[in-house]
Order: sequence, then structure tokens, then C-alpha cells
Amino acid sequence: MLKMNNISKIYQTEMVQTHALRDFSLQVDEGEFIAVTGPSGSGKTTFLNIAGMLEPFSEGEYLLDGIDVGKLNDNQRADVRNQKIGFIFQGFNLIPDLNLFENIEVPLRYRGIKANERKRRIEQCLEQVGLASRAKHLPQQLSGGQQQRVAIARALAGEPRFLLADEPTGNLDSLMARQVMELLEQINRDGATIVMVTHDPELARRAPRNIQVVDGQLADFTLYQGTQNLKNAAGV
Amino acid sequence: MLEIKPIFHALCRSKVGAVLLLLQIAITTAIVSNAAFIIQDRIAFLNQETGYPEQDLFKFNVMTFGKDVDLSQQFELDESMLRALPGVESAAQSSSIPLSGSGSASSFNLKPAPQESKSVRTAYFFIDEHGLDTYGVKLISGRNFSEDEVLITNSPTDRTTNVTVITEALANELFPESDALGKTIYFGDLPLKVIGITAPMKGPWLKDSHPNNVALIPYIQSRTYAQFAVRAKPGQRAAVMKDIESLMLKNYSKRVINNIRGLDELKDEYMAADKLMMRMLIVLITILVLVTALGIFGLTLFNISKRTKQIGTRRALGARKSAIINYFLVENALICSVGLFLGVIAALLLGQMLMQHFSIAALPPSYIAITAVMVFFMSLLAVLGPAKRAANISPSIATRTI
Repeated sequence: MLKMNNISKIYQTEMVQTHALRDFSLQVDEGEFIAVTGPSGSGKTTFLNIAGMLEPFSEGEYLLDGIDVGKLNDNQRADVRNQKIGFIFQGFNLIPDLNLFENIEVPLRYRGIKANERKRRIEQCLEQVGLASRAKHLPQQLSGGQQQRVAIARALAGEPRFLLADEPTGNLDSLMARQVMELLEQINRDGATIVMVTHDPELARRAPRNIQVVDGQLADFTLYQGTQNLKNAAGV
Repeated sequence: MLEIKPIFHALCRSKVGAVLLLLQIAITTAIVSNAAFIIQDRIAFLNQETGYPEQDLFKFNVMTFGKDVDLSQQFELDESMLRALPGVESAAQSSSIPLSGSGSASSFNLKPAPQESKSVRTAYFFIDEHGLDTYGVKLISGRNFSEDEVLITNSPTDRTTNVTVITEALANELFPESDALGKTIYFGDLPLKVIGITAPMKGPWLKDSHPNNVALIPYIQSRTYAQFAVRAKPGQRAAVMKDIESLMLKNYSKRVINNIRGLDELKDEYMAADKLMMRMLIVLITILVLVTALGIFGLTLFNISKRTKQIGTRRALGARKSAIINYFLVENALICSVGLFLGVIAALLLGQMLMQHFSIAALPPSYIAITAVMVFFMSLLAVLGPAKRAANISPSIATRTI
């Protein structure tokens, strides 16, 4: 699904070069649910931005669903984002002047989907996140957890095969966080590949696969997986 | 792809800035369309055909203080001298000078005063048979005065003249149904037979209620104060004007020659206030349009800085740069359309008010339409720069915690 080979990202200012990512290689298979953890400033967000084609990388190769991202122009990147990737942001990033229905409609309009089909999908997604009755509400009339569910509905409406979640529960209390996490797990069971950036170890532990980014490099690829295997072997 | 509906809804939910902007657009449209019409009207007024070769004509005043001279004879001599100059086409003593803002006018009637009859305001020139040639005005029917029809007198009570040459405009106003040629009209109780009708020539006042009504009367009253009109050959006016004082004084020295002015110069002076008003209006509407454009520019910039994250999110969700530009163009077009709708109504109301209070002609709808279209494109232009800037906001803004 996602394959990064020796990706580097260098931020250049007049005085200094900062290596945000250094020879970063990662493969994510179809249907995986991966948690990316790491301390602040380790390069998690840079990884997420590059994986989501939100910013270009300096060196290396990145294939998303077989597409060589490095060779795409700006419009093509926008189209691929629109068609293949669903984004879930820490701050929800709902548009405050649009109601829930219109918020979920945004990516569908960019894809040029017809009004009837848009309506069907939006209603289905709102149903899925349990907010069908709130379609006409504005984001600020909802709680944080509800807003994040709308954001998830927006990510799902385009029926993406790849979901990128950036601290999806970072702004939520534990109860709401759990609900959102369950929703993501459900989506993953339905077949979507999910990459979730978080610094909450609790949350990360719920993902089947964990990776850690430290100083722009992949630190420990299968720490959690390894422990899991050991546990399995020991019959615990 | 145009997102009119969601943009409209979003605008309705945060409308203060939009309402202020659309009011500004409405006011601009109302004022600019009316001002443009007034300017156009003034330009037409300033550039109107006067019937005279203004660049070749000039006038001067003669004030005679010498008592040892027969003024009638002297002026005859002067005219002959002037007409004989190599740079001069023709010259004549003229009681009024066209376009100058000073002259004489009276009511010309179909019956002698005090009988009641149709009465038409007319500017009149006491002038001799060289008048038409001097002013470069053509006859369109009838004939000019003959030399013996011109009454030259030193006595203010002599009134034996009995013919006149009038402009076509005056002829049509006095005799709308029939040909004026050969008819008699009355200057007070003095009967004047119309012997000739001229092509259009303006009277002394372009802003007169009847600027085209002119009558030439062959009557030269020789007084110590006299005005002469001279038509120079093309390109030679300046040279003739320079020499005129010395030549006149050479003929007879006990007099003052002054106020030697070109006809175009006199006209410019008379029209100075109109020109000033026109320029002020042009400055006003330029400022107004600029302020509105800056308003749109500023509001869009403000909206962009307020919505940086939203724009980044839209980009992340798959908006192409062109979709972001379109968003702001459509948003502006919506605000502008409502503003223009109000502006058109306001323009019509303002036009009516101006018509009532300042006797300005009715504002033609074409002015409103053209202004509206121009304001619309101006607003699109004003929004284009900021919209392009918005389109360049990186989608990675979406993952930043601001």
C-alpha cells in the first residue's frame, strides 16, 4: 500500500539545515493498522505530511498504491490525496462556517461526485459515526468527540483505502478517545489501511503494529509485535 | 467546479464583512454611474461643435479717448486695414463676441411689442456684412446683408435697419411649421425681415437656455468702446495678434487697444468651472473605485489569514490550487452581485434625485450597466491576487497545531 525508500526531508533556512527525516524506509501493507510514536520533534509529523503528500520530500522514493509520488505535479497530488487518502487531524479541522453535511461534502465536491451520490454517501457516513440526526448542525454546536467523529465521517466519505490519522484523540477526554479509537478499529476491520501518529502509548498499544520515529529515523520496527510474539510463544 | 451553495451558506453565517463590502460596492456603483454620466455630459458640452473656427478667431477691444475723430469713418478704415493684412481672412466690428460669456440677448417676437405673441430668447449681434465671413459661418439659405443695408451711425436713436440673418435653430423655433425666410420678426417693436438662415453658430453663452438662437442685425453703432472680431488665416493668428495693437494705433493713436484674446481662450475661461467640476468628479470616482478595490483586496486578505488552516485543510482534502482561487472568486462574485443589485437601485434613485434638483438629464440605463460590469470585473481583479496567495498555502498547514 505504502512504500518509502530512503526518504529524507531537509528543512533549509539561511543558517541551518535540519534533517527532519533521514533515510527513512517503511512498508505498510494493505489492511494494516500502524501506530507511529516518538517524542516531540522526532519527525512524526513530517513523516505524516510526506505520507499524506502534504509536503514534498528532499530525497528518496515514495510509492503509494503503486504510484510514484515524487513524479506527480501539484494537481495530481491533490487528486491522489482526494481519491486515496482520508485525513483525520488532531484539531478536527472542520470548517466552522459549514454545517456537518457540508463539511463532509467538501472532499466529495472536489472529486466531482454528483449531488445525489454525495447525499447518499454523507448520510451513510453520518450514520456510521452516529451523528445522522445532526447533519444541519454547525461544528461548534458539537462536543470535541462528536466533531472528531464528523472529521472521521469526512475522511470516510471518499471511501479511501488509506487513512492517515494525526493524534486523532489528542484533543479528547479518555471516554471520547476510546470511542474514536473503537471507530478506527472498526474501519480497519472493514478493510482500510490506517496509519496513526500518536504520542499516547496507551493508544499505540491498541494498534497491531507500532513503529517509533526518533531523530528522523525509524527506531524500533517491531518492538510491540516482538513482545506479542514472545507472549504468544510462551502461551501467555 | 463552483461551490456556490456552500459558499453562500458560509457567507450567510458570517456576514458582517460581506455586508460592509456589498454596501461599499453598492455605493460605488450608484455614485460612479451617475458621476460617469455627468462627466460624459460635461465632456460632450466642452467638446460641442460651436460653428466657429475657434483656433483662427480672436477679438480685441478699442477704447477711443480722442475727440478729434469720426468714429464711424475711423472704424471703416480700421476694418479695411485689418482685412488687407496678409495674415487675415476677414474682420468685423461685433457688438457681442461668441463663446465669451458676455453679449446681448433679448426676446424676438412674431408680433411687435406690446402685442402678445410667440416670444423666443435670442442672442443678437450688431455686425456688418463681413460678420458671417469673419466668424466663418455659412449661410444655408437666403442671402447675407448687402453693404447698403448696414446702418452705420454715431447716433443711438437711428433705427432704420430692417433685415436680419438668423440661425436655423432660431428659425425653427420661431416658425416650426414653415420656412422663416422672408418672414418678419420683431426685436421689441422693430420689424426685421429674415433674409438669410445660417448653419449652426453659438451665441455668447454656451450655458444659455437657448445657446443656438442667434440673430445678426446689420447695425453698427460707433461708440468709444468697440469690439472687433478677426479671423486669421490658419496658423497665423498668433502673429496677427502680436501686431494688432501697433497697427491699430498707427491708424489712429488716441485710443487703447486691449483684451486681445483668442476665441478658444475665451471659451476655456467661460468653461473653467465646468472643467474643474469634471476633473473633481473624475478624481472622486477614481478614489472611490480605488477605495472599493482596496476594500475587497483587504477583506480577502483578512479572510485568507483568518482561514489559513481551513484553506490548508481544503488542500489536504484534495482541492487543487485552482479550486481555492475559484472559491474566493465565487465568494467575491456573490457579494458583488448583491452589492451591484443594490447599487443599481441606488444609482436609479440618485439619478432621479439629481434630475429633480440639478436639472440633469435622466441617467441612461447603459451607464448603470457599464458601471456594474466594470465594478464586477474590478472586484474580480482585486480578489485575484489574494486568492492566488491563498492557493499557495501549503496543505501541510492542516497538520500544524496553531
